[in-house]
Amino acid sequence: MKSHMQKYDYYLIILTTFILFAIGIVCVYGITYYNYLAANPQWTRTIQYSQYIDDMNSYLYPFLVLLLISLGLCIPKRLFEQDTLIKFSALLLGVTIILTFLLGIGTGLGFILAVMVGVQGLVLILTFEKSKTIRFEKEGYIGKLGSSLLHLGVALLIFNFVTLRESSFHIMIFWFGTILITAGNIFSFYPDKINSLYPPH
Amino acid sequence: MGFSEYTAAREYLGIIGQPVITYIFITSLFLGFFSILYLLKKEKYYDYLIKCLYINAGLYVLGFIFLIWFHIQIYNTVLIEYPDFLRQMIPVGSSRFVLPLWIESEKLYFWAMVSLVFALTVKRSKDLVSLLGIVLSVFSALIYFFSNPFKEPLPIVHNEISRWYAALAAGDGSIFQIAGTLYGRITFYYNSTYMWTHPPLLFIAYASLIITAAACVYMLIKRDKLYDEIAYRYAKPGYILLTTGMLIGYPWAVEAWKDSAWWWDPKISGSIMMWVLYSAYLHARIYVQRGKMWRATAYLGIACFASLVFTYLLTYIVPGIHSVVQP
Repeated sequence: MKSHMQKYDYYLIILTTFILFAIGIVCVYGITYYNYLAANPQWTRTIQYSQYIDDMNSYLYPFLVLLLISLGLCIPKRLFEQDTLIKFSALLLGVTIILTFLLGIGTGLGFILAVMVGVQGLVLILTFEKSKTIRFEKEGYIGKLGSSLLHLGVALLIFNFVTLRESSFHIMIFWFGTILITAGNIFSFYPDKINSLYPPH
Repeated sequence: MGFSEYTAAREYLGIIGQPVITYIFITSLFLGFFSILYLLKKEKYYDYLIKCLYINAGLYVLGFIFLIWFHIQIYNTVLIEYPDFLRQMIPVGSSRFVLPLWIESEKLYFWAMVSLVFALTVKRSKDLVSLLGIVLSVFSALIYFFSNPFKEPLPIVHNEISRWYAALAAGDGSIFQIAGTLYGRITFYYNSTYMWTHPPLLFIAYASLIITAAACVYMLIKRDKLYDEIAYRYAKPGYILLTTGMLIGYPWAVEAWKDSAWWWDPKISGSIMMWVLYSAYLHARIYVQRGKMWRATAYLGIACFASLVFTYLLTYIVPGIHSVVQP
């Protein structure tokens, strides 16, 4: 059973790596296309610029949804058994697709992001409380806490960029997400050093 | 204090800094030479290589101290007093330049200096240091010929200061426009807290990630797990600083560029690309022990560094709000 789960985790990591790589390729396309359009120095003041932004967002969003699903598979696996997890992810993806067709990609993405922020928040609380209901790849409390903080920070930042750009809380939420990510990175990468700062009595 | 004191300080920086950068160039040539000799299996040259590395780093730090001195002189000698007309629209009566040490021709210098310090921290890994020695020697040569901070120091800042004093002396209407532009440049660029945090975090990250790239190259050549561990050890601080440094740039862009066309600008696309590639590297590395994953992560680590260099160069090769080139 354990090796089966490890295999599953391995393919999940490979999938995440490919999705990240694909986002990189979208960026390369953006750089090339921007350079092509910039032959006209005034192009950013024309309708072409907003069209370019919309195009880039529409190319990025599907990969972002996939990334979130992959992170989603990554995170609730700490909460659910594999079968439940796959059903949960399929349901999430299904609702996202329906919302996308009915109300647009922004709403679909907003929905999945809101769910992700909720799930990651729950994982963080359970991790903080040292709950036995969640399962991690990492060993040690600090490493687990770091991973939870990092994933919550990423979900929160993307949610903030996609749905709250016009909100008066946008920058405040941004800083909160940045602190979560930075702390999450430090905790994930240096659990032993942080542990050594607080030796057990 | 005024323009003449500022120009005297600028000239003096050239006088004291030029020999330092020349010695940096010469020791870099030796550094590259001894590195190649070591790689050609001449073990006895390793001590010379390390000595060159220390001397080079010391010279870089000395030059950096001279640059700090020059920046302090600019702060002390140049005072921008805004005309009464402008004071009604801006919240300050005057400004001074608090110039960061990573602008214009100084940024490559800063990056190289930090990289040398990082290279000294892996001196026990002889192969790695010799490869880094060649890279840093080329880096220093590029700085000497194309980005020398002591030859014509800070040309853009100098142009801005000269135009200000020229308009002041002429006493004509151009002073309003120049003062208005300077207010924006000083407040939102030079003296901005973001300018003092966003670029240096990125340059320190870049310096750390050079070690990762070099270790990935050796991972492929030697197939030794040790190099993977070194690559990962330096990818960790690199990634933390890269992520935080990039994120700090966001509120700065919102504040300074407001409605300007900055979203999906080539530099921003490049930075996102670089960040996702490093994220992919760190993800892939979780399973480095499995099958041929060590090879995939090593290639990915090298691709990440190529994307880093490409992103840095985007400022100079593709037009955009971050760029110095125009279509």
